[in-house]
Amino acid sequence: MAQEAAGTAAGARVSPQVDTLVREAQRGDQGAFEELVRTYDRSVLRLALNLLRSPEDARDVYQEAFLRVYRNLQTFRFDCSFQTWLYRIVTNICLDLLRKRKVRKEEPSVIETSEGPVDRMESFEEGSAHSDPERTLWNRQLQEKIERSLEELTPRERLVFELRHYQGLRLRNIGDILGTSEEAAKNCLFRATRKMRAELGDFV
Amino acid sequence: MNCDAAASLIPLYGYGELAAEEEERLEQHLDECAGCAREVRRQRSLAAAFDERSLQVPAALLEDCRADLMAAVRRGEPRAGRPPRGSWARFWEAVSESLAGAGRVRQPVGAVALIAIGFFASRFAGVVPGGISALSVAPSDSVFSTVRSVEPDNTGRVRIAFDETRRRVLLGNLDDQAIQRLLLAATRNDNASVRVESVDVLKNHPASNEVRDALLNAVSHDPNAGVRLKAVEGLKSLAGDPDVRRTLAQALLNDDNAAVRTQVVDLLVSHRDDAVVGVLQGLMQREDNSNVRLKCERALKEMNASIGTF
Repeated sequence: MAQEAAGTAAGARVSPQVDTLVREAQRGDQGAFEELVRTYDRSVLRLALNLLRSPEDARDVYQEAFLRVYRNLQTFRFDCSFQTWLYRIVTNICLDLLRKRKVRKEEPSVIETSEGPVDRMESFEEGSAHSDPERTLWNRQLQEKIERSLEELTPRERLVFELRHYQGLRLRNIGDILGTSEEAAKNCLFRATRKMRAELGDFV
Repeated sequence: MNCDAAASLIPLYGYGELAAEEEERLEQHLDECAGCAREVRRQRSLAAAFDERSLQVPAALLEDCRADLMAAVRRGEPRAGRPPRGSWARFWEAVSESLAGAGRVRQPVGAVALIAIGFFASRFAGVVPGGISALSVAPSDSVFSTVRSVEPDNTGRVRIAFDETRRRVLLGNLDDQAIQRLLLAATRNDNASVRVESVDVLKNHPASNEVRDALLNAVSHDPNAGVRLKAVEGLKSLAGDPDVRRTLAQALLNDDNAAVRTQVVDLLVSHRDDAVVGVLQGLMQREDNSNVRLKCERALKEMNASIGTF
């Protein structure tokens, strides 16, 4: 499964190295804050990008999340891992976006970056292109169906699925992040997979 | 275990999220039930199909996000907590040191700068453990508070987060390191008039690399044309420096303000080199402003160069 552990501290409650960085950043060390950002920001951006399927929205989430971290770092009391705390912030922002905005279905395929335009479909996708046209068509239909099945999920189900399937977080950790129990996260993942399984029945 | 019970476990089985006992019971059932074993294979295919849609983060997007964030942080987004350290602490220390020395009489060397600055003195981040609220700084005329959030809680109390800004005045001469640091920081201030004044003071003192870089940065990136003009003026004594010339050449082709472009032409032709001819010829191809064109044309004639490129 496409799992990416968020930084080196995925699921870990205590990471001395990260804790040191957090304490230094709390004391106002800008360098430590930047290092902390760099430890987790690829995972955060990847989560937002996969969840919202929009580079612009993902960029907004990134900015908002890390600014909230910056502003509120003093309130972090090590009651949970920094990663859990960070992901609480990120998932709250994503949930708000998923709830408030109807995620645009038609995204521009080209986005502007400082290195010039980047084609979203060509450069973002992990899967390699298939040379067999029949297989390509089948894959495209499957991917469309998958997108539709994901849209049928509630924002919370969508988020739990994203965190488990793509980010590789354990359900216990996901429960912590969402302020719920492991059991509730488990039920949520179960509902999500059942819905998608029903939607994609003919394809698999 | 029957097939219904197995169906409720199969999705979590794929994620390794079953308790050891549940997993064992399910595997026993799968061993005996071809239908449920097929369902497990289907779930795996489904998971693999979901993997296909995974998006990777392009390096350029990540770099843009980092640059945006750090720019926001450096612009001075308010942060919670104690007085800052690190680069912000150096800023703070610069202020403290200079205040300590402000009472002493110093020999005036060069220009004297009088700067009024605002900074985040401290920020009260809410209710301390135990429910006691406390203000770290007693309000006075020189402290300005900006309320950032108000959150009533269910016990009838209210949690208020606010920033405090204290204004201080610092007097020193331009050779003073602390004054220079403050001036350099002020070239990135949100307020354009503060940037103009800082660049104006710094331009008389472009000896250090930091000052030179601040002026180059202002020429290339300051959104205010007044600041850019002052910065170009400040680079006069450095017009022979290759880095300066490169930045000026870029400004000539990119700056949307004709007055800035005019001044840049003056500066570039004051130190002739072969590259400037090409830059001016390039400008002639695209320049719309008649004054800039005229100036450019004259400069090329003086250098015995043709007006266009052939």
